[in-house]
Amino acid sequence: MDILTLAWKNVWRNRRRSLITLTALSLSLMLMQGFHNLAVGSYARMIDSGVRAGSGHIALYRGDYNRSRDEALTYAATDLLKQLSTVTEVANVLPRIYLPGLAQSSRESRGILLTGIAPADEAAVNPFLRQLEAGSLLNSSEGRGALLGSRLASELKLSVGNKLVITVQNRRGDLTSELFRIRGIVHTGLRDVDHSLVMVGLDKAASMGGFPGEIHELALILKRAASVSEVMPELTALLRQSPVHTVAWDIAMPNLANSIKLDYASQKFIFAIMLLIVTIGVVNTMLMSVMERVREFGIILAVGASPGRLFRMILAEGLVLGTLSVVAGSLLGSLLTWYLVDHGIDLRRLMPQSMEFGGVIFDPVLRATWDLPWMAKISLYLLGLALAATIYPAIKAARLAPAEAMRHV
Amino acid sequence: MTIPHKILPWLIFMIVAPLCVLAQTSSDLDLRALIREVEDQYTGKSSHALMTMQVRTEHWQRSLKMEAWSRGRDRFLVRILEPAKERGVATLKNDREVWNYLPKVDRTIKIPPSMMGGAWMGSHITNNDLVKQSHIDQDYDFSLLEQTPDFWRIEGLPKPEAAVVWGKIVYQIGRADRVPQRIAYFDEDMAMVREIIFDKVQTVEARRLPMRMTVQPLDKPEEQTLLEYEQIAFDVSLPENFFSLRNLKRR
Amino acid sequence: MLLSLALRNIWRNKRRTLLTVSAMVVSSALLILALGIFSGMLNDMLAAATEQYRGHLVISMPGYQQDREIFNSFVPDFVLQEELDKDPDVLGVSPRLRGFGLLSHGQNTYPAELLGIRPRRERQVTNLGKHLTAGRYPTEEAADAALLGRGLAQKLGVEPGDELVFVTQAADGSIGNDLLTVTGIFATGDTTHDNSLVLVPLAWLQKVMVLEGKVHEIALRIHRPSEASVLADRLTALLPGQLRIVTWGSLMPELQEAILSFDASRLIVAVILYLATGLGILNTVYMSVMERTREFGVLMAIGMRTWQIRLLVLSETLVMGLLSLIAGCSLGALMTLYMQQVGIDLSRHLTPITYAGSTILPRLHAVNEVGNYLLPAVMLLIIALLAGWLPARRAAKLQPADALREE
Repeated sequence: MDILTLAWKNVWRNRRRSLITLTALSLSLMLMQGFHNLAVGSYARMIDSGVRAGSGHIALYRGDYNRSRDEALTYAATDLLKQLSTVTEVANVLPRIYLPGLAQSSRESRGILLTGIAPADEAAVNPFLRQLEAGSLLNSSEGRGALLGSRLASELKLSVGNKLVITVQNRRGDLTSELFRIRGIVHTGLRDVDHSLVMVGLDKAASMGGFPGEIHELALILKRAASVSEVMPELTALLRQSPVHTVAWDIAMPNLANSIKLDYASQKFIFAIMLLIVTIGVVNTMLMSVMERVREFGIILAVGASPGRLFRMILAEGLVLGTLSVVAGSLLGSLLTWYLVDHGIDLRRLMPQSMEFGGVIFDPVLRATWDLPWMAKISLYLLGLALAATIYPAIKAARLAPAEAMRHV
Repeated sequence: MTIPHKILPWLIFMIVAPLCVLAQTSSDLDLRALIREVEDQYTGKSSHALMTMQVRTEHWQRSLKMEAWSRGRDRFLVRILEPAKERGVATLKNDREVWNYLPKVDRTIKIPPSMMGGAWMGSHITNNDLVKQSHIDQDYDFSLLEQTPDFWRIEGLPKPEAAVVWGKIVYQIGRADRVPQRIAYFDEDMAMVREIIFDKVQTVEARRLPMRMTVQPLDKPEEQTLLEYEQIAFDVSLPENFFSLRNLKRR
Repeated sequence: MLLSLALRNIWRNKRRTLLTVSAMVVSSALLILALGIFSGMLNDMLAAATEQYRGHLVISMPGYQQDREIFNSFVPDFVLQEELDKDPDVLGVSPRLRGFGLLSHGQNTYPAELLGIRPRRERQVTNLGKHLTAGRYPTEEAADAALLGRGLAQKLGVEPGDELVFVTQAADGSIGNDLLTVTGIFATGDTTHDNSLVLVPLAWLQKVMVLEGKVHEIALRIHRPSEASVLADRLTALLPGQLRIVTWGSLMPELQEAILSFDASRLIVAVILYLATGLGILNTVYMSVMERTREFGVLMAIGMRTWQIRLLVLSETLVMGLLSLIAGCSLGALMTLYMQQVGIDLSRHLTPITYAGSTILPRLHAVNEVGNYLLPAVMLLIIALLAGWLPARRAAKLQPADALREE
């Protein structure tokens, strides 16, 4: 215990130096924590909007629909829906149908992807539909209302209220045509989607496709993204007897998952560099502090203290410095995070309205999320580094030959 | 991908062509029956025709001479005779499948339903037009707009749930021989999008047929498709395997 | 005299000098490396978009790039081509013809975009040859060779050696059709290209489309893509008639905006890095000067003036700073060079990802750019000078007796 007290006193003997080192370390920690939380916040939002417009946190498909997109792979979902309502972590269940087809207006025709949705459920969850007013949404699962992607609508030279004919090939190979009327136009910002999206009621799509009551995909939105791993085994058990199986979002939407991974990888690299830079500073400081006390150490050693004790004392100084920095840095980091959670960073002036990254629209207002485990981890890393940085100077001190040391100027 | 500005000269023609029974006018005019007459006459029959098609677009114009056979609505075979460069190019529709034969490379390609928006034979007819069944009499409600000694003008408004892109179709049909004179197609805002004009009416096998039709897209007045029959015969007997891939490839 | 004193001071206390210098060297080197990585990512994004397909600059008739109307073609001027070939900023010139139609093999038929090219020239502009998954890049002599994307090849069910039928509407309205032989298959990770793009011989396509002697565009690869608009302005003078030159930024506005925003976010990170490095250097230099307060006291006691003290420190810091910078830049350059040539390949864990319509390859690599050296170097020098100035000023202000008494 008295080693620590001694170390404390030693640290504060040179107040200026210690304060500067403290500042450097704690500011670095603050910045790293703030930036990381900001990134994590952005990822979370990307994932959130990606899964809601896409295949959910967990998607249920038949066979290898995920890869082949074979329209024949449909399944009946009514029983499943009942069972899924018992799984607590599931917030929403969105059934979907996807059929390639042709859309025709009196002037043009275009290839499209007919998407059958459950109107009420989807409107509550899907970010694409958020921009539409209540009157512009689909109100029936069997009706003739349709929502078109913005580019598609302009290519077909249609606007809200106009009619169009959609033709798909049904199960038996016959071509089926149906009349639809545009209730709303969706602008997602994703070029491919805006070129080919036509959303209609689920039952309508199913009857056109010749498989009433069946669907291609069930997108499950969970209450928390982190609970994917918890829910999976429960679902797998539920689905044991069925041809349907689960696909997690990072496999169903690899573009999204990988863009996050890449961004995170570069972040880790940058942080590693930062930590290195900071560590060098600490080594430097401790060395200097040791060097200027060589005479003093010489005396201590001559008076009978063991080199080991000297070593431990220097190390203790590093510990004190490190701990103080980490505490201060975490405090500052928490303050910064708190600000970024509440206010965030608005990049709207610098970024385009809707920019695509990883297949998802990137929100230009960056907001942080609390990632306490990581914050604790990085603090410990920093502490460890501070300690490690002290080792070399401590060794140098311990190795001093008392007689020579005392003669040092 | 080019679009069907122009109409489906082919199919419409085939519907209109075998205008059957020139039933002498009964004083009662059943409109739906009139239109249906036109269509029903086509069902179940076969045909063999020789025709020329002239297409004029903003950038080019050309003239094709073709020979065509059909059975009912589900099968037809069309072969290009001229120009020499494209002689032997043929299209076969067999139930739901559409095939093209290209003699220059001696290959057939299958046109999948998802590509039915594409142009047929370089013209403005789309493959979709060829494949699609036309149920005009069922999809529309008809009313008589105007009646002169010369013709009837009949307006067809699509039924609320009919899968048709038009806002309205107006037929002008000659009273004397129940031959169409012009058909106008309107979009939902009642703007005329295209018009077909029929003329050169002749008697073929006791029927009165307009042998020429001109398709005019209204937003591109310099463009046009002209389809003219040189010869046409009905109820021809065709061998069972006539509409086959093998036959498609014959030159 | 002061300078020699400065130099001697530096040399005298080797340990302190070494400590200070090494801190500055490593910190600045790492900062330069980090900036190089950012440049690398940016470069990757730009390269993926432009070097796979579009090129950096494109010459075509007005309006062609918007609607890709096949009739909007032109006859490439021989003189123009020569001028472009000679231009030192232009690395590659490739005339191209573009056609849309159906590709068929067996029972499979799919729509495709055919790009008629001359292989030798195209290779100098785009690098699909680096993304081959099967077969080879077409040779100049192969009259009907096709290089197609993997998605399309899979849907058609073809591999190198197989035959393809192409059908289109030619420029005279006739049905253009001909056969192709698959020589190679590429996979870029960009689904638009992989699912619909096919490279074919220019002469072959010109014949099929009845557009002999004509092209739709001339694509250029240039030395400095970030200065594309400057070069475009210069080259406009060479263009005959109605031809226009367009930059990659106008062809891909989302990418340009994405790069701007990427710049913005890397600015944030760069600032953080600068702060960290700056603090480190500040710490080190400040400390080493503070330590010498006593020494300054002695100097002042024997008659050195305050301004001389300050100048002394400034000179020392300047010399050390310059030395560190040179060493730091060299070390940084070395590390950046390694990352540039070798890099860290993450493709075992990640697939290519899309970003604003372009694709990013899953790897970390760096690019050497002058800006990445100049700015850090200058900044760090300023910080170091500042860090040395403040304590020196303070020491100089003290009474010699007080200074002497400092620990």
